[in-house]
Amino acid sequence: MRRELPFLLPFLRRHLAAYVTGSVCVVASIFLKLRIPVFLKDAFDALDRGGPTAREGLFAAVGWIVATSLAVALVRTWSRLLILGTSRRVAHDLRTELFEHLTRLAPSFFVRNPAGQIMSRFLNDMQNVQGLVGPVILYLTEVLTLYAIAVPMMATIEPTLTLLALAPFPFFLYASRRMAVRIQEGSRAAQNCLGEISARVDESLEGQAVLKTLVLEEAACGRFDAHCERYRALNLAVTRKRALLIGLMAGLASLSTLIVVVGAAGRVVPADQPGFTLGSMFSLLFYLGMLTSPTRTLGFVISSLKRGSAALGRLREIVDSEVSLPDPPSGPPWPRVGAGALELRGLTVRHDPLSEQPHLSGSRPQTCGDDARADGGRVVLDGVSVSVPAGSTLGIVGHTGSGKTTLLRAVAGLQEVERGQVFIDGIDVCDLRPADLRAAVGYVSQDAFLFSLSLAENLAYGRPEATPQELAAAAAASRLEADLAQFPDGLESIVGERGVNLSGGQRQRAALARALVVDAPILILDDTLSAVDSHTAEEILVGLAPYCEGRTTLLVAHRLATLRHAERIVVLDEGRVAESGTHEELLAAGGLYAALWERQSRRETEGGQR
Amino acid sequence: MGRGDPRKRAPRRGADLRLLRRLWPFVRPQGGLLLASLALLLGTSAAALATTWVLKLAIERHFETDTGAGLGVLLAWFCVLALLEVVGRALGTWTVDVAGQNALLRLRSTLFRHLQALSSAFHDRTPTGRLVGRVTTDIEALQEMFSSGVVTILADLIFLCATVVLLFSLQWKLTLAVLVVVPLLVGLTLWMRVRVRAAYAKMIDSRSRLNAFLHEHIVGMAVVQMFTRERRARTGFDGISGDMRDAQLRSVWWESALSASTEKLSHLTIALILAYGGALLLDAPAATGLTLGALFAFIDYMRKFFVPLNDLSLKVTVLQSAMTAAERIFDLLDRDDFLPEPASPIVPPRTRGAIAFDGVTFGYDPAEPVLRGVSFQVACGERVAIVGATGGGKTTLLKLLTRLYDVQEGSITLDGVDVRELPLSELRSRIGIVPQDVFLFGGDVLHNVRLGHPEISEAEARAAADRLHLDEVVKRFPLGYAEPVRERGANLSSGERQLIAFARVLAVAPAVLALDEATSQVDSQSEHLLQTALHELTSGRTSLIIAHRLSTVRDVDRILVIERGRLIEEGTHEELLREGGAYARLHELQFDENG
Repeated sequence: MRRELPFLLPFLRRHLAAYVTGSVCVVASIFLKLRIPVFLKDAFDALDRGGPTAREGLFAAVGWIVATSLAVALVRTWSRLLILGTSRRVAHDLRTELFEHLTRLAPSFFVRNPAGQIMSRFLNDMQNVQGLVGPVILYLTEVLTLYAIAVPMMATIEPTLTLLALAPFPFFLYASRRMAVRIQEGSRAAQNCLGEISARVDESLEGQAVLKTLVLEEAACGRFDAHCERYRALNLAVTRKRALLIGLMAGLASLSTLIVVVGAAGRVVPADQPGFTLGSMFSLLFYLGMLTSPTRTLGFVISSLKRGSAALGRLREIVDSEVSLPDPPSGPPWPRVGAGALELRGLTVRHDPLSEQPHLSGSRPQTCGDDARADGGRVVLDGVSVSVPAGSTLGIVGHTGSGKTTLLRAVAGLQEVERGQVFIDGIDVCDLRPADLRAAVGYVSQDAFLFSLSLAENLAYGRPEATPQELAAAAAASRLEADLAQFPDGLESIVGERGVNLSGGQRQRAALARALVVDAPILILDDTLSAVDSHTAEEILVGLAPYCEGRTTLLVAHRLATLRHAERIVVLDEGRVAESGTHEELLAAGGLYAALWERQSRRETEGGQR
Repeated sequence: MGRGDPRKRAPRRGADLRLLRRLWPFVRPQGGLLLASLALLLGTSAAALATTWVLKLAIERHFETDTGAGLGVLLAWFCVLALLEVVGRALGTWTVDVAGQNALLRLRSTLFRHLQALSSAFHDRTPTGRLVGRVTTDIEALQEMFSSGVVTILADLIFLCATVVLLFSLQWKLTLAVLVVVPLLVGLTLWMRVRVRAAYAKMIDSRSRLNAFLHEHIVGMAVVQMFTRERRARTGFDGISGDMRDAQLRSVWWESALSASTEKLSHLTIALILAYGGALLLDAPAATGLTLGALFAFIDYMRKFFVPLNDLSLKVTVLQSAMTAAERIFDLLDRDDFLPEPASPIVPPRTRGAIAFDGVTFGYDPAEPVLRGVSFQVACGERVAIVGATGGGKTTLLKLLTRLYDVQEGSITLDGVDVRELPLSELRSRIGIVPQDVFLFGGDVLHNVRLGHPEISEAEARAAADRLHLDEVVKRFPLGYAEPVRERGANLSSGERQLIAFARVLAVAPAVLALDEATSQVDSQSEHLLQTALHELTSGRTSLIIAHRLSTVRDVDRILVIERGRLIEEGTHEELLREGGAYARLHELQFDENG
């Protein structure tokens, strides 16, 4: 907590006035509330005393009780509004700060840290921090004030009896604290188990055709039942502790009552004499009643405090993650990209071993495919030099994992590179603002990610001011327009769960159209049309030719025929440029490219065609 | 409450009874436990009422007027009763929950089995998320009903009635006065609680919008940055987060007001008892039978009265949502979209593996047939490839063969027996299927090879895998065959997933293989590995392969060409090329793709 506080402090300070006023209200409400037993004593004493003044005394006391309780309700509402309300404001501030930081982090951060992990920071951890800066502060102030005021008040009535009656409290506090920890741990375990159950159901439904055809229904049911059994056991463990806690607290109330009654036996003096009257006893009992239930919650408050500060630490990790693609310190102003001539001078990119990469604690590094499974540091690109004059096309060929995508990302400003390796129009990309660099690039990645906005908004994602005509032109160039008729609202259809579901090919074509709308000097297509059937893919590429005119184009493709017309083709192998040249030069050289071309052509001749 | 659909409200009462009757078979085995918990809770309530009564007696006899002896006995009674209350409350809470957990364990399991049994046609129509919600969220809602539901509500009601009777016997005028004023105050809190719930529902709504936005932007952050939309994304997030904050503030407002008013309510009741009861006491203590002890008891009873009364409104809402959940659950259990099992099943002694499609017509929507009168035969041990453009109905052929769906016209036979005459499990265990989208389950690689067949030993599974050279792939994994497979095989390449699926079939060694080749691109190494494995897998086995690769097509005995739901060509690779028909055209296109 001590380490986390400095991080939280600026957020709290912004709402300092609310917290101070709120705390004052808490103290005031407790103080007022504790007057009520005093009036109660007066009332009982008046009744006990009897006589002509009794009625007057009684009604005065009752009047005070009514007035005080109304005042308490008012002040109490106000205190809660201030403190709990402010905690929501603090959480909002924290959320937006965190999100802002996320938008600055390089894509590599999101590769290292699974989305689920980051989401959990925003949801679960934020919930706990919100609990820390709201309810925890409120209850702690409340309970501490309650004890601080009630105990002396009780002591003035009868010190020894107060001491005796409060003697069991520390024990119960300890017990409730332990129980609270166990209950919360148990609930979390049960919650995780429920998540597991939900995953099992989801899996069995998604794979139900497989389960059926492989006759695995029984096995799946067995596995599911085992999970349910475990869930039941976890739940019952929590209930057992909860039942015990409820019982214990009922016991505490009875025990302290018993102590007061036993202690008071034979010592009560008539109400008209000074000393321990029947009214005194009633007010002592009343005070004790006020103290028992906060004692129960105190256990939960303390564990919330611990969880809150742990959560705070995890949130700080995100804010502390280094922005690895910062704006260069040389500006402003920063240089701008012009025609888009590209030069790579010995580009080398090394992926650190996963274990040594900084990632959020508790998040296992992702292991996706062969790329990431490499043990130890892996050189992804090793001294790649190539120059692409403005307006020309570079084809890139290579096996999976040969570094094609990394190369493209380095050019697009999505990958950290060292100084002196990538130049655009003669400017080192390290001197360019990443945002300026990206704005100069139309990039279509392998996974065509679309947002759940309308198709039109998705197409205009890189240039919101694009006109409907421009969008239509881009949709035409990417052969998306023919599909639009399938969607209920054409370009206005919402993409995703709440709207239309696009096929893989449709997504890729939409992503292509989105990049075309940007109208940037550099166009990068990373195996963009893999899910589009070959006929349409060919049409699209032909249709793109005039668009690529005058633009620097980087093209990755599996089908070599697609690259035939590129001014230059490089073959990447294990991160190095194995070969480079025009289609004809490469064929003549008789190397990797020629072999690949040979293999693809042999299928043709063996197939008996041409 | 606030957001309930008013149209659904009217026939509700009858529906609730019907639902309770449906629930009964699951509850009945827990009857003993439930009765025990009811008894415990009632005993606890009685003890709670009695402790206050003992205190009242002690005050009257030993504090107001000192009659001396007997206090010890009373206090001993107090101890016993208090102890009973403690134990009773703990045990009662516990037994109710055990009963609920047991009942719902059965219900959940039944529901899951039912889902497994429902036909593919049903699953095609129904979104997965909704069904997952039935098994998790809805069952949880029912669970709540058990722990804070019927039994506790019943116990609470009995307790409240008993308290009222006791109070009337204590002093009927004062009780009457209290019972007139209290409902007004309780009504106010109830109304506030409704507001709290409404505000809370809004909050949940805004929270799920925030989650959706956040998830999308974390996953697509590279796209956001690529198109330099960071600022707009931030503005969007600020807006949504602000909406959520405002919704939270509204619910905080009502919660604060509610919590203060609950406290105020109990204080005002005390004031009322003191004022009116005190006046009665001062007027004529003898006639009213009131004492200071009685007043104290009154206050104490009212305090105990408020606890269940406050909970009651909460419990009623829990009950309502539980009933809605139960309705949804039983609606699902009432679905009977099963494929009928044969009335008199025929089990041929041994599968040799001859397949015949005879005039098969089928459509997922009967109005739009996907297959029209398809007939062909596959002899024992013959390897047949099916080719054709996407959407022509190739995959549907396999789904009909394994009877995920029933044909609408014609018939499919396996070794001369109509597939509808075979028991489902018998049919499916005789056909090894490799779907296009290989589906792997959580667990390790070996688990996925053995998948649900405990009779396949680990050695057998490994042997099958080795024959397909899966070991060459697996040895690259840090943990080998024990390498964990993430949900749906997300950590494996598509080539690796396919090999595992091949091994899965080979381990079971069925006589018939039905394979839907994956279209996704694999690199040439994996391609080579897959083709070798496929050759091994199909040798000596009746095989029906939906083929996308040239090498696969060349390897088979016969090729069927399906287009727009009809079988249009049939023959060997060379024959079909010579004919120069649809296959030849398709082949040309394939060449383009690869060349």
